Parts: sequence; structure tokens; C-alpha cells
Amino acid sequence: MRLNRFVALACVGLLLTVACAKNGGTKKLAFVTNNAADFWTIARKGCEKADAELADIAVEFRIPADGTAAEQKRIVDDLLAKGIDGIAISPVDPDNQTQMINDIARQTLVFTQDSDALNSNRTCYIGTDNVAAGRQAAALIKEALPQGGKIMIFVGKLDARNAQERLQGIRESLQGSNIQIIDVRTDDTDRVRAKSNVADTLVLYPDVAGLVGLWGYNGPAILNAVRDAGKTGQVKIVCFDEEDETLAGVKDGAIYGTVVQQPYEFGYQSMKMMAAALAGDQSQIPPSKQKFVDTLVIKRAEVDDFIQKINQLRGR
Amino acid sequence: MKKELGTFLLLVVLCIAVSVLNPRFLAPANLQNMARLIGAYGIFSIGLGMVIITGGIDLSVGSVFALLGVLLSIMLTEWGLPSLLAVLAVIGVATALGAFHGLLITKARIQPFIVTLCGLLFYRGLARFIANDETKGFGSAEGFETLHNLATGSLFGIPTPFVLLVIISVVMWVVLHRSVYGRYLFAVGRNETAARYSGINSKKVVASAYIILGILAGIAGIVFAFYTNSISPSSHGNFFELYGIAAAVLGGCSLRGGEGSILGILIGTALLQVLQNLVNLLGIPSSLNFAVMGAVILVGVIADQLLQRRSARVG
Repeated sequence: MRLNRFVALACVGLLLTVACAKNGGTKKLAFVTNNAADFWTIARKGCEKADAELADIAVEFRIPADGTAAEQKRIVDDLLAKGIDGIAISPVDPDNQTQMINDIARQTLVFTQDSDALNSNRTCYIGTDNVAAGRQAAALIKEALPQGGKIMIFVGKLDARNAQERLQGIRESLQGSNIQIIDVRTDDTDRVRAKSNVADTLVLYPDVAGLVGLWGYNGPAILNAVRDAGKTGQVKIVCFDEEDETLAGVKDGAIYGTVVQQPYEFGYQSMKMMAAALAGDQSQIPPSKQKFVDTLVIKRAEVDDFIQKINQLRGR
Repeated sequence: MKKELGTFLLLVVLCIAVSVLNPRFLAPANLQNMARLIGAYGIFSIGLGMVIITGGIDLSVGSVFALLGVLLSIMLTEWGLPSLLAVLAVIGVATALGAFHGLLITKARIQPFIVTLCGLLFYRGLARFIANDETKGFGSAEGFETLHNLATGSLFGIPTPFVLLVIISVVMWVVLHRSVYGRYLFAVGRNETAARYSGINSKKVVASAYIILGILAGIAGIVFAFYTNSISPSSHGNFFELYGIAAAVLGGCSLRGGEGSILGILIGTALLQVLQNLVNLLGIPSSLNFAVMGAVILVGVIADQLLQRRSARVG
């Protein structure tokens, strides 16, 4: 009796598995992020859109919990073992993961997204041109501070490439202007520290004219510290990305402007291009093998439309 | 007192040195900023100190902060619960987690390190799952402005977290140093078997230390959540347990248990925050932040050891 029940259960399980598995023609694609963040929630929507539009692909979205190269490696190995047809990955440490990306490239189609591994055999890169984004931020700073002045820059870690590139763009554009960068403060992605760094800066340099946050959470951290110090409006804030508080700050004028990426496009375009490439269509891949998705500048005038759009993408 | 003296001297020397090098160290705004952080870190460090005095450890505090922050944000902004209820619920959850740890450690006899290491992993994952990997925040605190102002504001110019810390310290000082229960904590930490044979219900005492830590972590969790005003579940509170453990040990708590004092933990907490502050005030590159912290603490501890050995020889 017991055995019968077991056999019945096993049969049901088997049937379900067969029913759930898509037919043989479907290509399995994976999108691997570099950590867990709101940013990727939006990219995921882009992937889902592509998945819904194209009947012949199934997209899997993988998030490494601690954002390390080791965990990405484990995820990639699992995906390859499953027989994945294409991977779009955001390498945590591109220079040292080139070997891993080449290993994937030998077995299957691989794209890089968000951060590129220039010397690897990846088929294409889709993402932001962070130097250009830095220049956009610099333009905002100049606009906000026509009289010039001293600014301080905040970021989580300076050894991350996007931080370096954004900083490079800002430095290049501000060279020779009347704006002087005091220093760069890092916080190792600890938000408490991010805020206290700003508070300390406001104490140490009472004449600081502008504060710039290079990573998403730096915007709210700057905003809160400036508010606590009662200097809203006196100190101009320019930041990156689209955390809720950042957008609220832009809306009420406390933040001058923010430079945002379009992760939705990372997800959507990478999946579409991979599907096309697997079907033998290489025409969408630029000769440079780098496809840049523009960064947008959001100021008070644009913020309402943007908030509406982003909430839609986040499914709110 | 002897054990805290070294750390206290180090703190005083540092403060004098920094204020000579940069007088802005003593500016009211800077003192307020520091007091706020000392308050927030001090509250849970005292709890960790209690646990360490019983010979235990808690590695899960940082993850608990992430979980509590996410819950608080959801309760206030999405469910629209009244502030008082949300606060009580958060402290309640934290207390329950503490009791759960205590139960596993005393009844199931699992090592505190393992229990709370599992907690560190579990609560972080739970926080991320509940928040759907999205950053949770309080926005402009519509509907709970009073609570927000209370947590981030000041009382007669003194930041509320610091006021809270003072109150909690006084209460805990009485509990630890002037009550029978406090003697039991030390006794259990120093030699659990001996304590049990002399009629102390050591299981109850150990479990209660984790409950106290739970309550204090709940309060600190609320303060931290409002300090950052947004909680990213994957990074909020990362490694904060180490700040608490470091503060307690610097302040004279022994990781073997049975030693420690409230005053010492407060001095240890203040030392860690002054070290963070001086990196910024003296314009030391941020990259050296942890290096400065490690070096100063090590030099201080070595000096303390040498002094104690010397005084032991003289005495």
C-alpha cells in the first residue's frame, strides 16, 4: 500500500517535471548580477520583457548574495552544468575574472553587462559608459556652482572600476575650472559610515560648496547628513542612480540632479541580442563589441516623469 | 577599574592629540555627530558585553539590524501601523530572537558561536527575501514624524541616541554591578559548573543575557534604521557585531567570560568612534581607515599590557 502511494507520487512528480520543462527548441539564457540591489530589480524586468516577447528563449535571473567573484564562479559552473545556451554576466572583478569568462566562452555564448572585461573573449558588452556618466555629473556640478568652489566626493569603494571611471570623467571635465575637488571619501558600502563621512566633511570644511555621491546609496546619505546639519540648499548635491530618497530629494530641490543608468535596457537588450546571436544573426553586435546604453540626467524638470516610469518598471 | 584605565587613557590622549591637530574636533556639530554614533553603537555594545561576560558571543547582531530595519520600514510605510506599535513590535521581534538564541544555547546545548553564526546567515537572507532585495526606507516619514524626530533629533542639544545610551547605561550599571543577578552573570561566566553547584540556575542566567541583548539590539536597530533612513537588506549593519565585540573587549571584557564593566564598554565604544572620526578630521585617506583603527588599538593594548606588567612587578 505504502509502495503504491510512493509510485503514484513519483509518477505525478515526473509528469509535472515533464510538463514544466519547455520543449527542446527553447534556448536557456541566464543573467548573472554582481550583487543584490534595486538596480537589478529593474534589469530583471527588462529580462522578463524579452522572455515574454520571444517564444524561443527562457531566461533565468541569478543574484550572487555576497557579491564575490567566488560566488559568481559557482553560479556560472552550475549554469554550465545545466547546459545553458547563453550567459550575460556583470563580473565583480573583470581583470581577474577574464579567465573564467574565457572558459565560459569556450562552452557557450557569453556577454558581459554593466561592467566589462575588455580583454576577454566575450561576444559583446552592454552597459554604461561610466566615464561619460562622470562627465555628465561634472556638467551638473558646474551648472549648480557657477561661482565655483570646493567639492567633496563620496563613494563605497575606490577600487571598483565604475567608481574609478566616474571619478575620471568628473576630474577630466573639472580640470581648469573654478571647481576644486578636496578629496574622495570611501565607506565600504556601510551606509552609517557613508552618512558620518558627509557629516564630518560638513564640520571640517564649513565652506564646502558641493557634495557628489558616486554610488546609489551615497545620494540619500549625503541628503540626510546635509539635512541634519541644516544646510539644505546651501550645499549643492549631485549624485548617481535612482534610489527613492534621491528622487524625492531631486523633486523637492534638495538635490540638484542625478545621473541615472538604464538597467532595464541591460536586461532587455542583452537577452534580445543573445537570442538573435544564437539564431545566427550577428548584425546587432557592433564592430567594437561594446554597446553603450546612454545615461540620463534627471533634474527637477524631468523627475516626475522619471519617477512614474521607474515605479512602473519596479511593479509598484 | 584598572582594566578600563588603559583604554580610557588612550581615548583621552587621542582626543587631546586630535583637538590640537584640528580644533574643529571640539566643534559642537562634530561632538553632536560623534555623540549620536556613540549612542547608537553603545546601546547594542552593552548588550553584547552582557553576553560576553557570560562567556558567550553573538555574531548575528548586524543581520538582525537588517531584518529589523526592513520590518520597521514595512510596518510604518506599507502597513501604516502606529509608531508606538511598530516600535514595540520591532523590539518584540528582537527580544524573541534573543530568547530563541538563549534557548538553543542552554536547552539544545549548541555553542553560541554556531547558533549566532547561523543567525547571521539566516536573518540576512530573511531580510533580503522579505524586502525582495529592494532598499527599504522611510521617505519623508509621513505619518510617523514624531518617531522619526525622536530617533534622529536632539534633547536640549544632546542627540537622542546618546540620551538613550546614558539611561540604558545607568540601568545596566545597576543591574550588572549592584544586583544579585549581576553577580550571577559574572559567576556563570567565570565558572559555570561552580556557579551551578552553588545553586545558581545557570541556564536561566545565560539565556537572560541573550534576551537583554535582544532588547538592546531592538532599540539600536531602530536608531540605525532612522540614522540611515534607508535600509539596503544586503549591506545594512554588515560587521556591526564586530564593532560591538571590539568595544566590549577593548573596554575590559574577557572573551573567556567573567570579566567586564559597563564603563569599560562605553569607553571602548567611544574609542572606536573617535578613531573613525579622526580619520576624516585629520584628512587621512579613507583607504587607511581600518589600518589606523587597527594600529592605534594594537599600540594601545600593547602599552596597556606593558604598564600592567610593570605595576604588577612594582606592587
